[in-house]
Amino acid sequence: MTTLSDRLRGVIGPPKGGPYDSDPPRRDASAANLADVLDGQWHERNGQRFLVVDRTYVPGYRHGSMVLADGLPPTDGVWPRLSLLANRACGDRLVFVDLETTGIAGGAGTYAFLVGCGWFSGGTFRIRQFFLSSFTAERALLEAVADFAASAGTVVSYNGKSFDLPLIETRFALHRLPTPFGELPHIDMLHPARRMWRVQNTRRVAETSGRHVHKDVPYTCRLSTLERHLCGYERDGDVAGFEIPARYFRYVHAGDPRPLAAVFEHNRLDLLSLALVTARAAQLLEDGPAAARTAREALGMGRLYERGSLLVEAKACFARATDMNDGDEELRADALRAYALVARRLRHYDDAAAAWRRVLGLPLCPRPIEREASEALAVHLEHRRQDLSSARDFAMRLLDVDDSVPRRQAARYRLARLDRKLEFQSRQCLLTF
Amino acid sequence: MFPVRRTDPAHDKALTAALDRLTGGAPERVDNPDAWITTVRRLPALEARYAPFSEDLDARLCDILRQRGIDQLYTHQAAAIEHALAGRHVVVTTPTASGKTLCYNAPVLSTILRDPSARALYLFPTKALAQDQLAELHDQADLLSRCSASRGGDLEIGVFTYDGDTPQDARRAIRGRAHIVLSNADMVHSGILPHHPRWAKLFENLRYVVIDELHAYRGVFGSHLTNVLRRLRRICRHYGSTPTFVCSSATIANPRELAEALVEQPFELVSESGAPRGEKFFLFVNPPVVNAQLGIRRSYLAETRRLASEFLKRKLQTIVFAQSRLATEILTTYLKDDFGGRPGTDEQIRGYRGGYLPQRRREIEKGLREGTVRAVVSTNALELGIDIGALDVCVMAGYPGTIAATWQRAGRAGRRSGRSAAVLVASSAPLDQFIVRNPSYFFDASPEHALINPDNLHILVDHVKCAAFELPFTTSEEYGHHNLQEVLSVLEEGGFVHRAGGPTDSERAEGAQEDGVWQWTNESYPADAVSLRSISSDNFVVVDTTHGADVIGETSFNSGPSTLHEKAIYLVEAALYQVEKLDFEGRKAYVRQIDCDYYTDAITYTKVTVLDTFEGGGSCHGEVHVSSRVVGFKKIKFYTNENVGSGELDLPEQEMHTTAYWLTIPRAVMAALPYAADDRRDGVVGLSFAMRQVAQLLLMCDRHDIGISIGSGEQGEQTDLTRTGHPLTLSDEPRIFIYDNYPGGVGFSEPLFRMDEELRRRTRELIAGCECQHGCPTCVGPVGNTGPMAKSVALRILELLHTDAAAHALSA
Repeated sequence: MTTLSDRLRGVIGPPKGGPYDSDPPRRDASAANLADVLDGQWHERNGQRFLVVDRTYVPGYRHGSMVLADGLPPTDGVWPRLSLLANRACGDRLVFVDLETTGIAGGAGTYAFLVGCGWFSGGTFRIRQFFLSSFTAERALLEAVADFAASAGTVVSYNGKSFDLPLIETRFALHRLPTPFGELPHIDMLHPARRMWRVQNTRRVAETSGRHVHKDVPYTCRLSTLERHLCGYERDGDVAGFEIPARYFRYVHAGDPRPLAAVFEHNRLDLLSLALVTARAAQLLEDGPAAARTAREALGMGRLYERGSLLVEAKACFARATDMNDGDEELRADALRAYALVARRLRHYDDAAAAWRRVLGLPLCPRPIEREASEALAVHLEHRRQDLSSARDFAMRLLDVDDSVPRRQAARYRLARLDRKLEFQSRQCLLTF
Repeated sequence: MFPVRRTDPAHDKALTAALDRLTGGAPERVDNPDAWITTVRRLPALEARYAPFSEDLDARLCDILRQRGIDQLYTHQAAAIEHALAGRHVVVTTPTASGKTLCYNAPVLSTILRDPSARALYLFPTKALAQDQLAELHDQADLLSRCSASRGGDLEIGVFTYDGDTPQDARRAIRGRAHIVLSNADMVHSGILPHHPRWAKLFENLRYVVIDELHAYRGVFGSHLTNVLRRLRRICRHYGSTPTFVCSSATIANPRELAEALVEQPFELVSESGAPRGEKFFLFVNPPVVNAQLGIRRSYLAETRRLASEFLKRKLQTIVFAQSRLATEILTTYLKDDFGGRPGTDEQIRGYRGGYLPQRRREIEKGLREGTVRAVVSTNALELGIDIGALDVCVMAGYPGTIAATWQRAGRAGRRSGRSAAVLVASSAPLDQFIVRNPSYFFDASPEHALINPDNLHILVDHVKCAAFELPFTTSEEYGHHNLQEVLSVLEEGGFVHRAGGPTDSERAEGAQEDGVWQWTNESYPADAVSLRSISSDNFVVVDTTHGADVIGETSFNSGPSTLHEKAIYLVEAALYQVEKLDFEGRKAYVRQIDCDYYTDAITYTKVTVLDTFEGGGSCHGEVHVSSRVVGFKKIKFYTNENVGSGELDLPEQEMHTTAYWLTIPRAVMAALPYAADDRRDGVVGLSFAMRQVAQLLLMCDRHDIGISIGSGEQGEQTDLTRTGHPLTLSDEPRIFIYDNYPGGVGFSEPLFRMDEELRRRTRELIAGCECQHGCPTCVGPVGNTGPMAKSVALRILELLHTDAAAHALSA
C-alpha cells in the first residue's frame, strides 16, 4: 500500500527544475545579507519589516545619448502640455510606477514583490523601491506605498492601465485598504508611445513555448526598444522579463537574494526610461508640429492634439505626416484620412476634399478608407459644389467598394437621388433652350 | 414562473383521438412486451395544494406577486421559502413547470428588499439557462424598483449574468452593481474566485447561493463542483459571510444526499410538489422485429417520424427528443418533408441543438412559447429548464439513458392542466430494450443515484492549488478528506507553495499556537489548467488541412487515440474528414475532408492489473492499473453497418490508476462449462458486454464513464488478441472488470459492488429475455463480434455462478 505522499507525487508529477536549481542554495543569506546585497534599508511598520532601496540620479546622469538634465520638467511644475497624454488635467507631482510581479496572470495569487516609484525632485530623479522580503509584510508594505503616493498628483506607467494598476489595486483590496491610485490622473505611456514610436518588429518570433504558438507581431513598442530608439541606450546584462518570477521564488524558497540584484536594476532602468520617454513626449507636444522627425511621430502627435481639441496643431501634424517620405503607404493613407477629418471639423472643406482625392490617388488605398473617401467626396460635390455628375462618379465608386447590404442600399439611394437631380437639371437645360 | 393555467377542450379531444388511434381505444391495458405499443400508463391529474404567503416575506414582494396573479403559494414553494428565509440549506425536487424558480427568487428578493446590501449568487449548468432566468428576474426587479420608488424608496435591484460572454468593459460595473449574479460553476472557478478581492462586496454580503438543476452535477463535474464550493465557502469565511444554499433538482433517488455531498452541509429536503398536474399518458413503443435471427428491428427513427406525425396532423404541439445531433437533423428533415409550410411562410418545424447560434435558439424558443412553431426536434439541449412554454406531446427517439432524464424530457409536455402525452420509442440498444421489457423498472423503481467523489486525488490537488492561489492556507487548516498539510508539503516539493512562519514540529510539541501560512509561489494561474468537465484539461485539437489549417474541433486526451488515429473518419455535422496524421506529442490531428460511405471504429485492447482489493470475494472492488492501447480499427459502412475493412495501428499506451468492480469466474465454473475453449471465451466476452449495459443503467452514468476489460488481473500477462481486441485465450480464472474511466475514479466502483446481486440478476434477465437466437446488439453483442455460442455460454456462466454462490452460502 502506497502512502498518501507517494500517491500525491504520482498525481503532481516530478518537480520541474527552475533556472537556478543548479546553483547551490545558500541558507546563510540572512536578513542583513539581503540589505547588503541589494543595498537598501530595512523599514518597519506594525512589527513587519520590508526592504526599501533608494537611489538618486543627478542632472548630469547619462542614459544613453540622453542626459537627465534634458528630461527635467520646468522647475515650477510639469510640462504644460502633459495633460494631452492623460487626456485630463494632470496634477503637479508626477509619480512613475513600475511593478515586478510573481506572474502576469493577475488574480489573488499574483503578488507585486517589488513596487518601484520614481519622481523628479529639484534637479534630480529619485527612485524608491519597496521590496516584499516576506509575504507577511505585504500589508505594511502597501501602507507605506500608500503614504508615499498620498502626495502624488499624477501616476505615470507603462501599460499600467491594463497591468500594474489593476494588479496593485487587487493587493490593496485583498488587505481591505483603500487604493491610493484610484482617483489620480493616470498617464499610461504605452498608448501615446505606440502612436508615435512603434517600430517594425525586427525579431520575427515564431517560437513555440508550451503549446501556444506566438504569432508574428508586426510592431513592437517595448520599453527597452523605445529606450534604444529614443535614448540610444543599450542595456547590458538585463534580466529577461519571463525570468523575474523564478528569481523571486528562488529567494523565497532558498533565501538567496543574489539573482534579485539584476531584477532591482531592471526595475530602476525601466523607471528611468519611462521618465525620459515621458519627458520626450511632453517636450515634443510643447515644441509643436514642426518638431516631429518622422511621419509616424507626426501622425501620433496629431492624434494627441486632436484628442485634446487642438485642431489647428493636429491638422499641421497630419499635413507633416503626409509630406514626410519615411512613412509607408498605409501610414500615408491614415494621415490623409486624419487630415481630411480634422479639416472638416475646422470647416476647411476644400482642404478636406483635396486630401480625400489624394487618398483615392494612392496606389494601394485600403478599402475602408476608399469607401469613406468616396462617400465624403460624393457628399461634398453634391451638396457643397453642386457638381452632380462628379458626385455621381464617386457614388458609383462607392457602390463598387461597399460590401455590406445596408451600405449598398444607402449608396443606391444616393445614386437614385443624383440621377433624379441630373435628369431634372437636363430637363431644365432643355427648357432653357 | 407565472404560467397561465387553463384547460383547452379542443386539445384534449385531439389528443384523445390520437391516442385512441395508437392504442386501439384502450388507454389502460396490461403491458405486452411483444406488441408494437408495449405499455400504456395513465397518470391521473393532480389538484393544486396551496399555502398562504409567509409572514416573513417582504410585503412589496407579495404585492407584485399578487399583481401578476399569484395570490397564494404552492405548498412546496411555501416550505422551501420558509427554510431559505430561516437560513436552512434546502434542496427542492419537483417536476418540470411546478414554479421552482419562485422557491429561490422569493427568499432572495425579499432579503434584498429588507437589506439592500445583501447579495446572491446563482449557478446554472449552462449559460443559456442563466440567460433564460435573467429576463424573468429583470422583470421582477424592475417591478420591485418601481414599487419601492412609489413608496419613496430608491432601491434598484441589479441582476446581471457574469460568464464567459460578459464583455470585459462591463465586468467592473457588474461587480459594483449586481445584487444577484447569475453565473456558472466554470466562471466561479476560473473568473470569480481567483479575483475575489475585486468581488469583496459580493463575498462580504453573500446571503444566498442558488444552485439550479443540481442533478446535472454528477460524476466528474459534481466532484469538481464540490471543490469549487469548498473554495467558495473558504473565501466567504475570509470575508465573514455564511451563505444559505438553495438548490433545485430534477427527481433523482438521492437529492438530499447529493446536495449534502456537494455542499458538505446538512440540507432540508422539499420533495412533495403542491403544483397541479394535468392527466398524462405515457406510451412505450418498440419497433417490430424484421429479422429475428439477427435481432434487427425496424428503424426507430422511422418509427418516431410515424408517431410524431399522428400528433402533428391533429395540430398538437410536439417536441421530439433525439439522441444525437445527427439524429436531430435527420428527424427534422423528415418532419419538414411531411409538415413543412409553403416556402416563404414561417417555418413550423424546427431543429434545436448545441452549435446553433444563440439568436436562432432564442427565436425557436419564442416560437414555441407563442405557438408559431408546431414541432421542435431537439437534442438534450432542451431537456434542462429553458422556458419553451406548454407543449402537448413529447416523443423520445431512443431511451435518454436515465430515468431522471426521461421524466425530465417527458415533463416538457403537459405543463397545462389539460391532457398530455409522452411517448418513448425504443431503439435496439440494450438499455432501450431493457426498459421496454421492464416498464415497472421505469415507473415504479426510484430513479438513479447521482454519484460524486470530490476527494479523487487528481481533482482535489488541482483545487488545492487554486485555493492556495486565492488565499494562503494556514498550517492548521483542513480541506476535503485528505490530510491537507501533507498535500501542501508535496506541492512545496514542486515549488508550488512555500511555507512561511509557524512553529516547527518540536515547537508545536511544546504547545506553540501561532499558525504559519502556505504561500502560492508559482507564476501560473492554476484555475486555467483545470477544466471542471474533465479530469485532465489535456486535449487533442483537430486541424483541417483541406484549405489551409483550420481548427475544427477538439477531443479529450483519453479519447484522442481511439477517434483520431491515422485513417480514422472524423465527423463534424455530418461532414466527413479523414485523419492523415496524428501528432501525438503535439496533440494535434491533421485531417482532410473526404467523401466516403463508411466510418471507423477503433479496436482498443485494455488490460487491468489489480493493485489493491478493498472488499469482496467472488465479486470485488479495489484499486487497479489500467493500460489501454488502440491496436486497430474497423471500417463500417453507413446505414447497413457492414464491416468493409480493417487496419492495424500501433499507438502509445495510455495508463491510469483508477478503481474497479470485478467479477471472478471461478476455475470450477469455467471447467464445468460443456463448451470448447473459443466458445467459453465468447461467452465471457458476451457476458461482459451485457454487464456493461446493465452497470451503466444502474449507475446512471454515461457510456464513456465506465470501461470494461477481461483478464486475470495479474501482472505481466501477454496474450494474442481477437479481431475485437479481446484476449484470444483466457486464463483459468478470468475476471470481468468494470472500471471507473477517470484517473483516480469518481466513485462508480463501490456502489456497483454494493449492487452486485442486482447487476447479475438484471444481466441474466436482459440476456434471457432477449428474443434473438444467438446474440444481438441488445444482449451479448452482435453475432459477428461475439461468436455463435456467446449467448448460451453467458447464460450458463450466470447460472453456474448462482448455484456456486448458493452452495457457498449453504456451506457457510
